[in-house]
Amino acid sequence: MLLAPVEYARPSSVDEAVRLLGAHDGARALAGGQTLTNVMKARAAAPDVLVDLNDLAELRAISRSGDGGLELGAMVTLSELMRSPEVDEARPILAAVASQIADVQVRNRGTIGGNICSNDPTNHLPPVVAALGATMTIRGVDGERTVGAEDFFLGVYMTAVAPGELLTKVVIPAAGGARDGFASVPIGKDGTCIVNAAATVQDGQARIALGCVAAVPVLVTSAVDEAAVRQAVQDAELDPPSDVHASADYRRHLAQVVAVRALREATG
Amino acid sequence: MSETTVTPDKPISVEKEETAPGFIGVNVPRKEDKRLVQGEGVFVDDVKRHGMAYVHYVRSPYAHAAISRIDVSKALELDGVYGTLIGEEVAAETDPFFQIAPPPGGDLKDYALAVGRVRHVGEPVVAVAAATRELARDAAELVEVDYEPLDPVLDPETAADPGAPKLHDEVPNNTIWQGNFDYGDYDAALAEADKVVRIKRLHFHRFSSTPLETSGAVVEYNRGTGQWTIHSNNQFPGFAIIMMGPALKVGMDKLRFVSQDIGGGFGNKICTHVQLVAMCLLARKLNRAVNWTEWRTDQHTANSHGNERVFLDVEVPVKADGTLLGFKTRIVDDCGAYTRYEPLGCIIWAQVTPGCYRWRHVRVDFTQVCTNKSPCGPNRGYSRMQHLWFTERIIDIVAQELELDPVAIRKRNYIRADEMPYETPNGCVYDSGDYARCLDEALKLVDYDSIDEKRRDAESRGKLLGVGIGSTLDSGTNNFGQSTLVNPELQFSGNNEVATVKLDIFGEIVVTLGTTPQGQSHETTAAQVVAEILKVSPDDVNVRAGHDSYWNSHAGFSGTYASQFAVTGLGAVKGATDMLAGEIKQIGAAVLGADSTDEVELEGGFVRRKDNPEAALPFMACGAIVNANNAVLPLELREITLNCRYVYVPPHQLPDKERKYGNLTLTYANQIHACVVEVDPETGVYELIDYGAVDD
Amino acid sequence: MEPVSGQRISVEVNGEWHERDVEVRRLLVHFLRDDLDLTGTHVGCDTGNCGACTVIVDGVAVKSCMMLAVQADGASVETIEGLAPDGELHALQQAFSSFHALQCGYCTPGMLMSAKHLLDHNPEPTEGEIRRAIQGNICRCTGYVNIVEAIASAAKGGGR
Repeated sequence: MLLAPVEYARPSSVDEAVRLLGAHDGARALAGGQTLTNVMKARAAAPDVLVDLNDLAELRAISRSGDGGLELGAMVTLSELMRSPEVDEARPILAAVASQIADVQVRNRGTIGGNICSNDPTNHLPPVVAALGATMTIRGVDGERTVGAEDFFLGVYMTAVAPGELLTKVVIPAAGGARDGFASVPIGKDGTCIVNAAATVQDGQARIALGCVAAVPVLVTSAVDEAAVRQAVQDAELDPPSDVHASADYRRHLAQVVAVRALREATG
Repeated sequence: MSETTVTPDKPISVEKEETAPGFIGVNVPRKEDKRLVQGEGVFVDDVKRHGMAYVHYVRSPYAHAAISRIDVSKALELDGVYGTLIGEEVAAETDPFFQIAPPPGGDLKDYALAVGRVRHVGEPVVAVAAATRELARDAAELVEVDYEPLDPVLDPETAADPGAPKLHDEVPNNTIWQGNFDYGDYDAALAEADKVVRIKRLHFHRFSSTPLETSGAVVEYNRGTGQWTIHSNNQFPGFAIIMMGPALKVGMDKLRFVSQDIGGGFGNKICTHVQLVAMCLLARKLNRAVNWTEWRTDQHTANSHGNERVFLDVEVPVKADGTLLGFKTRIVDDCGAYTRYEPLGCIIWAQVTPGCYRWRHVRVDFTQVCTNKSPCGPNRGYSRMQHLWFTERIIDIVAQELELDPVAIRKRNYIRADEMPYETPNGCVYDSGDYARCLDEALKLVDYDSIDEKRRDAESRGKLLGVGIGSTLDSGTNNFGQSTLVNPELQFSGNNEVATVKLDIFGEIVVTLGTTPQGQSHETTAAQVVAEILKVSPDDVNVRAGHDSYWNSHAGFSGTYASQFAVTGLGAVKGATDMLAGEIKQIGAAVLGADSTDEVELEGGFVRRKDNPEAALPFMACGAIVNANNAVLPLELREITLNCRYVYVPPHQLPDKERKYGNLTLTYANQIHACVVEVDPETGVYELIDYGAVDD
Repeated sequence: MEPVSGQRISVEVNGEWHERDVEVRRLLVHFLRDDLDLTGTHVGCDTGNCGACTVIVDGVAVKSCMMLAVQADGASVETIEGLAPDGELHALQQAFSSFHALQCGYCTPGMLMSAKHLLDHNPEPTEGEIRRAIQGNICRCTGYVNIVEAIASAAKGGGR
């Protein structure tokens, strides 16, 4: 519908952005706006200040790191992920999954940082960065720190990025022979996920992150075979929610199915 | 063949006419497109008025509650807020809306805002008007409403139980309407059956047709004349005016409806007269134009839903070979919190009582109840979709139980082409249809012959494959007399639509329609008909875009709904154009010295003598003579105006109220669809593999 | 810099610069429709699903109901009104009419802008690419088949 009264600033440096976020209690970062704008239209959240990150060129950079890893600025859009030769070379799963999110218009503005920081349990990218073992760089007024994916996602809509801080970079480790896969069961053909899973297979081990089954991605590891993966998912004793789209039992069942399918995509 | 499956005598004969080549049945570019592809359409939210107020509704968060206090003072203090409207004011200034149901269902009170009580989530309680959209939204949050929650009625199957919470004090057992329908001889059918298939319960959920443009209006009030101008995408102004006039206690002519482009209706824009009354009151109170644009969320929660219907204790007597003899069922229909177009849904299904099938013995116990859910109203396939789904479910369930092929059992039971026109058990007349042939066409479209092969291929990939068939009828041009079958006291029957066609002073052909098109190409098709009759090109025919009740294009049933424009709208256009053609010929005959109009013809924008085509008068000359040079005409022709208004009235008869019998609608298009799906047994996810649709 | 609740913005729309004072909370779609009287861009939902509000900002198709007007300060915006600047229809507009790819016309401006964005970046799209390009645009009237054919036809004809 329509936003409540709010204030706005569009800084031209990351330091200025961090300062603004720290200086105002109710300040929120505005990235692609594909989630936050809707939340504000529904008045489900009403930040006092919006700090628009769209002028921060530094946050849009994509580069390869010395060890073959991939450094993605938090403001890299989903469309940019899909087009990037660096992503295609280093970790194409990111582009493949980005291309499944929503539609062209949303992908043109939506960002990798926004997708993981909003941490809606049905988002696509949190399980992917969890499976890949990504490291997030967070900057606050006191400087920078890094947080691994396993410690980054804290709860529904909550991550390690505290008020006054900004996610600046997502660093994906070098593939080093790892193969990745992703599978999901969405509502309709291409809607919100009911259950999703990202898999990375490396050195005879499967690392699978399950989404939509808990507040944060659930990580399981197993040997690289379907039976072992199913067992690992069962052993995780998932307690997914029931909602209008799916019952807890259905989600629990689907979690095994998508885990196996993600594995198949990785190994196939 | 036994007594219970005899085909009735053909009740009427249908004449076949040759259609001459011309602009009918030809692909012509749409007149509407040029403005629409350039974003130059005028939809209701595009209309702006100086000093206009934007309206936001405060809506009930409860399904059922008493309102104990409303305080708008804080909202009014906000700079830029022009005013508010609450239920108390509405109750003081308007009468409750006219009700279609007989007592006691029809005794309920329905107003433009909640009065003392809310009965569904999203029900408008307070209207707030402010200088900008955002301010109206902000101010709405400052309105304080205290509610005392009441137990809601959410299950139509128990809504009429003793002890269920009561929605309306005037309506016992939450029962809006009940009626029995008994056709043929069901008991004899039962006795003759080889088997009785029993289905405990079939449930059709409520739904919304969801046009892309939500409802809305810009309403202005003229204090000097007491006239409201309602720019609105309401799709049935004929109905809206009849409902709003008495409510506002004004004459019909004080309500002028104007629209140009409408972004889809599908029935959802029929019952907005309720919100429009609130807008009228606000426009008058504030002395400024008001804009209401419905939010999508509100369209989903609080606009007209399609009826939820439950079919209980279904009994289907059948013969061993799969011949269906009839059906019996107890129906509970949920019309939501208020009855705005209901309970007409309780009879409209009877336009297609047997669906596409030849069974003759039907017994239905139909009850409509109100519940604390969104009020229902016409939605695509109003009341017939639920019933046709029901007949298709029956035939598939019977096929399963008798282990018969779904295609064969349909062909055995379809009404046959050589039986058309076919009178149904309750007196409706299907004008044409060859369902078996359409089914064959649909099956061909999905390569049904190779289905087994497709199934094996699917299984090899771990998938299940299934085929579904849907046979439906789209009945059109309804007889409003069917309303007397739900309420014998009502004075509604027949149907109509109006058009005017004129020749202006410079010979320009101008058409006005009484309809409110939402994409159905009325301007273009009307131009095709006029061009055909006047022997000009559709490019020469100017059809005014949209609707304006001030064009004198308004008849009692004016609007666009229920699949009838081709019959009523174009019927009116044809009637008016025939009149105009006759008048042009009279002018031509007089001026060209012919003895009668038989000696002249129309061609290429001229009226000319048949025996001497050089002797011709352009339309422009005719227009000029009548409008500015009429002393050249003989006295007996001076009543010609070249401005012809015609109201098309279909040949409906009054139905038999006692037997609930009669022809309830004029036309029946039929649709047979076939669908092939693959289902992933691991996930339950299905995929459409192929789909064939045949429309006749 | 300090946060503000209102701002003067300059936006280039269809080649023309406009300067206006706006509340920062004003959505781009309402800025176009109400402040600039460009009512061709439509609103069809509350949640950024329907795509009726699609415009092109700095060469990229976006849903203008999910952008603030202030975010378009200094940007170049193309709306439906700019597609046929001198009344000469763009190939896409012509194709939509020829292929009966519109009925009520409400989704059409957004659909055309998504189609234009596609052809600007991919002049020879496959059917699958066309369908993906309009995935974010809902139509309630046509059933999409004619829309896909219209876009394919416009592409074949050079797409201008």
